[in-house]
Amino acid sequence: MSMQRLFLRLYDFWAGQGCYLASSYDLEVGAGTMTPDTFFRVLGQKPWRVAYVQPSRRPTDGRYGENPHRVQKHFQFQVIMKPSPLNIQRIYLDSLVSLGINLSEHDLRFDEDDWESPTIGAWGVGWQVMLDGLEITQFTYFQQAGGLELFPVSVEITYGLERLEMFLEQKDNIYDLKWSDDVNYHALRFREEREFSIYNFEQADVNMLQASFYAAEKEARRLIGQQLLLPAYDYCLKCSHLFNLLDARKAISVTERVKMIGQIRTLVNQIARLYADQEGEN
Amino acid sequence: MEFLLEIMTEELPSAHVMAALAQLGERFSQEMKTSGLEASGLRVLGTCRRLVLVADLGAGQPDQEEIVTGPPRSAGIASDGSFTQAAFGFARSHGVSVEELQVVKTARGEYLGLKRLKKGKSTPEILMNKLPALVASLSFPKTMRWADKSFRFSRPIKGLLCLFDQQVVRISLEGLMSSNKTSGHFIHSPLKLAVSNYQEYYQALKDNFVLVDPAERKQRILDQFYEKLTGLKAHVYPDDRLLERLLWNVEYPLVVMGSFPDSYLSLPLEVLSTAMREGQQLFSVVKGKKQLPYFLGIADAPSDPKNYIVSGNERVLKARLEDARFFWENDLKISLSERVNQLSEVVFQEKLGSYGDKVTRLQELVSYISERLGWRNLKKDLIEAARLSKADLLTEMVREFPELQGKIGGIYAERQGWPETVSRAIYEHYQPESWEDPVPDSTGGAILSMADRIDTMVGISGTGYNISGSSDPYGLRRSALGVVRIILDKKFHLSLRRLIDKSVSLFKKKLTLTEEQVKAACLGLIEGRVRFIFEKKGYSYDLINAALAPGLDYLDFTEARIKALSSLKASRNFEQFILMVKRVKNILKDVPKAKLDPTRLTEKEEKELYSALNIVKKNAEEMMARGDFAGAQKIIFRLQSPLNNFFDRVLVMAEDKKIRNNRLALLAQVQSLIDKLADYSQIVFSSENS
Repeated sequence: MSMQRLFLRLYDFWAGQGCYLASSYDLEVGAGTMTPDTFFRVLGQKPWRVAYVQPSRRPTDGRYGENPHRVQKHFQFQVIMKPSPLNIQRIYLDSLVSLGINLSEHDLRFDEDDWESPTIGAWGVGWQVMLDGLEITQFTYFQQAGGLELFPVSVEITYGLERLEMFLEQKDNIYDLKWSDDVNYHALRFREEREFSIYNFEQADVNMLQASFYAAEKEARRLIGQQLLLPAYDYCLKCSHLFNLLDARKAISVTERVKMIGQIRTLVNQIARLYADQEGEN
Repeated sequence: MEFLLEIMTEELPSAHVMAALAQLGERFSQEMKTSGLEASGLRVLGTCRRLVLVADLGAGQPDQEEIVTGPPRSAGIASDGSFTQAAFGFARSHGVSVEELQVVKTARGEYLGLKRLKKGKSTPEILMNKLPALVASLSFPKTMRWADKSFRFSRPIKGLLCLFDQQVVRISLEGLMSSNKTSGHFIHSPLKLAVSNYQEYYQALKDNFVLVDPAERKQRILDQFYEKLTGLKAHVYPDDRLLERLLWNVEYPLVVMGSFPDSYLSLPLEVLSTAMREGQQLFSVVKGKKQLPYFLGIADAPSDPKNYIVSGNERVLKARLEDARFFWENDLKISLSERVNQLSEVVFQEKLGSYGDKVTRLQELVSYISERLGWRNLKKDLIEAARLSKADLLTEMVREFPELQGKIGGIYAERQGWPETVSRAIYEHYQPESWEDPVPDSTGGAILSMADRIDTMVGISGTGYNISGSSDPYGLRRSALGVVRIILDKKFHLSLRRLIDKSVSLFKKKLTLTEEQVKAACLGLIEGRVRFIFEKKGYSYDLINAALAPGLDYLDFTEARIKALSSLKASRNFEQFILMVKRVKNILKDVPKAKLDPTRLTEKEEKELYSALNIVKKNAEEMMARGDFAGAQKIIFRLQSPLNNFFDRVLVMAEDKKIRNNRLALLAQVQSLIDKLADYSQIVFSSENS
């Protein structure tokens, strides 16, 4: 197995389940959940099935390329199905089998883990899926997003691709993973991890980040006024990433933290409400 | 005849399984009772994937005679005794002749009526009726919806098996129909299994890797623990909460044992066991007090033929320990003292300011408490401990493992060269965290823990916040329980009232309630916990009421009072004495206070009572001041015979008002002395009830 073969197999499997294969979103996000293909599409009544790889940035997880498991950017495979199929757990197990995992030789568990993202006013109920003690997937039935009750309910399946690949290759070090048969993770990603760790923890200009945060927040607000909801949401995503960078620089006090998250959430909730209203009219 | 119900679900959280099974058993037997069905041998069992109920039920409700009422007698029978049209109409509508009607008396008067036998419903009929609503009525701490269904449950429901006397009882729920089929283990044997009774059900599941009885799973786990460890002469570091959780999480437990590199043993035991437990749910292995480089895990599988489960867990644990070491090394680069300054940025509570403010108050409070308790030699160290106590909230270790707060602070303090009194106090100051958790071992830890809790109780109550029902987000009950347990276990002699006053004064103007209101709120919380503890210790409620009546201030004395009462309750004179006390109390009811004038005492018996009272009072008060309530009580018993004589020979309600008031004043003095010990009138004797 290799990272890219893993991508291909999952794409193939989920396409077979009727998912539309989207491409990764082109803004920095902390999780696949935040991208428009998930966030907007779980709102409202229309059925939706999508699958895509999403690079996810979490600046505080950076380890200068020195930790064999943690990286400030990792890859998620994101699946959304709305409404959630009644046999979705079985479908998910089949996806693991399609990766060549013989489940009867392992310990697979659905372990209680409810998910919540205060920034986008979302929460859901579900599990982390543990394979021989390794968390490989977050499995969530969305109950709310953008502060709105969701109906019908979407299921979100998020595979942590590096972890899954470490499991498949039986490797202890993320940088030893194969990306393709002749290129490894180290060759592609090591320099990026090192430089971004230095940037995130040491070099990011706090004043510039703060100013950018407020500028992006202001722009999002203005765009909401113009009913340009998708662009407005992009600026919320920018706010969220700028916030994460400030957090990595330890430049946010606890009170500011609550305030800034609250600011983003307020905007996101407005966007969600307007979007759902417009969808309802169509 | 046997009834078997299985609700198959996607994986329920273990706390939800336990809650749901308890409700299922209780509500089912309630429903059967109200339906007039006999139910016996009820059992609930299950796993995270199935809630199961088995019971023996009768075949159906017994037939019952019922009376149908028709028109009033006056409208149904004419004055000449013949039946009217109304009577004929009523009879016809029920398919009987008018001769079969009879007069029935009701609360509203006499009516024409009809007695008939009502056929009891059959058990399947009742079950079909009741079960869907019963399943829907199960409540959980959190519920969800799924797909396009409006039904709410803890997790999606996958199937229903419902059998009575070997036959399927047809019920439907959210588009699911009941059947006689269950499923084996969802990975290791996902087969549909048809069964006709519990014995077959149990066996079919067992053959397909599901042990449906939690007791059997637990035994299997404990046996395998033993098997794995006996060669090493080691044991599992006990963690009942984790065991309980995993017990419900797996259908077919398999204990696996793995190891990790020795180099991680340099991390503190607390960090190692937390890293194993959190996230990965592994148990640590110890020999004596020494951590061994092994772990035990509970998998949900029949076996581990290729050792994948062990090696997978080993890899993940190594990564976690690597991370823990990263936090440990990073944290040690910054001293706790340096971190204290940043505490002003960490909010304790919105209206009460930061943790920086809190540790400033705690320094004052520990200084006050150690003075009061006569531990002046600890004072300097405890002020340091208080100052550093919350610094670990800023460490990466606590960010990753919040449950290590306090403990890790103590460990860092020790590493950074603080005296043992300081590091121990920090380490122990969140203890006791639960009823099972012991109070701090060191005096310093006990004082700091108490100060922290009082500060929280006073602060939060002082903002006007009241706990209600199950909602207690600041853990005020737990704080109060901790304070009470520490004082009682450590035998601290400390005035709670003054401690609360002191704590209130440290908040300056931040509290919205007055000092008296705060005190009442805090003492109310504490009284609730004192009652709880005394009940746990086996004291009956009447003794608790009696012992608490003199008020809560020095809890060590409160406990001495109840111990004294409890030991004396068995003695022979006690009941007589109590009756006497009750008599005094009755006489004094509604009597205004008056001053006793000893020169106006005329009769021999009242003079004797007066002089006995003076001697008893002097001795008893000395004893009470020392906390010797058993002794004081014995002394007070000596008033019994002078009181007896007084009541026998002296007329309290004398005609002369001045003499009468003087005698009442004498009794009031007796009463006020007795009140310092207990409110004896609360005590109940079995002879009084009969």
